[in-house]
Amino acid sequence: MSNTLRPYLAAVRSTLTAALTLEDFASQVVERHNKPEVEVRESKEVLLNSLTISRNENERVLVEPSINSIRLSIKIKQADEIERILCHKFTRFMMQRAESFLVLRRKPVQGYDISFLITNNHTDTMLKHKIVDFIIQFMEEVDKEISEMKLSLNARARVVAESYLGAFNS
Amino acid sequence: MDVNFRKIDIDQYDEDVLLESELYEPDPRDPAQVVSDAKQKATAVRSSLAKGDIVGALTLALTDAPYGPNVDEAKNLNLQTLVSILNSTKSSEIPGVVKSLPPDSQDTLMKYLYKGMALPGWGDLSGSVLLVWHEKLTEAAGTGCIVRAMTDRRLV
Amino acid sequence: MAPPEIYPLAQTQAAITSHSFNADRSEVAVSLNSNDVQIFAREGHEWKPTETLSEHDKLITSIDWAPNSNRIVTAAQDRNAYVWQQSPDPQTGRMIWKPTLVLLRINRAATHVRWSPNEDKFAVASGARAIAICSFDPEGDWWVSRLLKKPIRSTVHSVDWHPNNVLLAAGSADMKARVFSAYIKDVDKRPAASVWGEKLPFNTVCGEYTSPTGGWVHAVGFSPSGDALAFASHDSSISIVYPGGPAIYTIKLTSLPLLTLTWTNENSLIAAGHDCQPLVFSGSDGGWELTGSLDDPNSAKSAGGSRAGLASPVGRLNSAAFNTFRNADTRGIGSAPGGSGESELFTVHQNTITSVRPYAGTPGAVTRVSTSGLDGKLVVWDVNQVTPVGATGLAGRMAGLRV
Repeated sequence: MSNTLRPYLAAVRSTLTAALTLEDFASQVVERHNKPEVEVRESKEVLLNSLTISRNENERVLVEPSINSIRLSIKIKQADEIERILCHKFTRFMMQRAESFLVLRRKPVQGYDISFLITNNHTDTMLKHKIVDFIIQFMEEVDKEISEMKLSLNARARVVAESYLGAFNS
Repeated sequence: MDVNFRKIDIDQYDEDVLLESELYEPDPRDPAQVVSDAKQKATAVRSSLAKGDIVGALTLALTDAPYGPNVDEAKNLNLQTLVSILNSTKSSEIPGVVKSLPPDSQDTLMKYLYKGMALPGWGDLSGSVLLVWHEKLTEAAGTGCIVRAMTDRRLV
Repeated sequence: MAPPEIYPLAQTQAAITSHSFNADRSEVAVSLNSNDVQIFAREGHEWKPTETLSEHDKLITSIDWAPNSNRIVTAAQDRNAYVWQQSPDPQTGRMIWKPTLVLLRINRAATHVRWSPNEDKFAVASGARAIAICSFDPEGDWWVSRLLKKPIRSTVHSVDWHPNNVLLAAGSADMKARVFSAYIKDVDKRPAASVWGEKLPFNTVCGEYTSPTGGWVHAVGFSPSGDALAFASHDSSISIVYPGGPAIYTIKLTSLPLLTLTWTNENSLIAAGHDCQPLVFSGSDGGWELTGSLDDPNSAKSAGGSRAGLASPVGRLNSAAFNTFRNADTRGIGSAPGGSGESELFTVHQNTITSVRPYAGTPGAVTRVSTSGLDGKLVVWDVNQVTPVGATGLAGRMAGLRV
């Protein structure tokens, strides 16, 4: 692992551990409702300062904590046009199937590629350190996945070009 | 029919709602005073750094850090001062430095680290330097320090 | 020096939101993250569910069982509170729990409830920026409430009664811990002057405290004498207030925030929370410090997280294979290389502790405390079995619990 990736992931891990200190909290604005406060944003006092962890300008994570939910948004590394397209397709694929991932948000926060919404129901029923592990693993995998897709896309393009242009070579 | 009334945010008329400004004690100093304090500190920090006293320089920069509205100039100045300390510290010295800071300064340093990371490309900030500091500070001060960076409304 | 007794009450990883024992500790009322209260009775080393109290239609947030009058009060997010009293069933003659609705007059969730020391009043904290003080009106044959409103600005998280039955401490999400007078003319005798004040009409604010780095106040507690107040807030700190001083000692923790606390005697208290282990603090009006943890992470534990012989297994099926499949099913933990060890924390509780209460001893000399948490476990600890801070070798997970 490259030497800036490790402290980056370590910082995300510790920030997430600190932010995942959630509890059940019924809305104090609407009767008998219980909603993620980080999405509702009605009561200022139950929202905490949002924290950013950045590796460089193109890779960063935004953690928005509140009393009963946190929102974690990731900006994935996109070096060129192909990576941008692949990243868009990949995150879109995931977010269309958000129910299967439980903590995934259907829409990313502005300026980021993919967002997770973790509520107190998730931390009640699942082990907290496992949720953290999942997010970290996701961040590791997504970079790998996209660069692999890019490689296979390039390889495929080469094969196509060779077999197409080969017709003119004879 | 006029339906514009539907777009009125009625919650803003709720008198019981807590405002952002009521969540923390305002800085007793007036803005001009804060700026001149920050300038004095910058000079003092430079002389400490020249002597190689990193802990002293950090403690100086982290005590009475400017916070709240209307002091953006002082905030930038203090961040600049702090970044110069962070950049000039050898990575092998960091663990010792963060351990010898008092808890209050550790909390403030954590706030500055997150602020720095939220402004990539600002001045001579480098993400990797901040991440190394963050890692060492978390080892020394624990996750409690990060929790306090989230709860403390006195944003630097 | 008995090891902690661990009782996994919830069979399917349901969280225990609140627990309360009866006077002789033979029964316990818990809420398993649902709309019902479950009463368990002790049978040897096991707890058997005996009764279900269902009346609430939203999540129950707090339960308190009055030891002397044997009444249970429950509060829930459906804005209601019920007082449950045992009476004989007219048909069968069996003793059953009869609910009485309390007219709380609050319009948001009730979050916390506690009987006063004399058991003639109780306080219900709520999200309506108010605390309802309820007392029994014999003429109307119901519980009536009076509201403490000013100057609360946000949801009240917890309340605690002063031993004099009049003063009430409250911790709320507007980052303040406050001490109120909850004096009700028809119920209370005029209280003696204390460090908190002399004249105490209803809704007098006797003190307002906050932690320097902010954070919602999760738990409050008066010391056994009532002369000191402790509160834990979300900035991972615990503060002890001596109003006579006036001194406030704030201990900043390196670990995650505390959610609940209880005093064991005048000079020590136990607090627990997101860190999954009960921490012991001790001190006096000269200063306070973290002394250690009741949980000894180095002691050997079997794979099920239970200690030799004491815990009741989940039926006969509690084998390693069953656990693996159950974990894979309920928590998505695969049998990845690395073994089951890495999926468990080193602490007895595997998730956040939400409640810690005295279990044995008298107020001022508590010898054992009970804790319950989101992992569905109820644990009874010996308060004298403290593992010193330095010895908690929780390598990496919370390196150096330094104050």
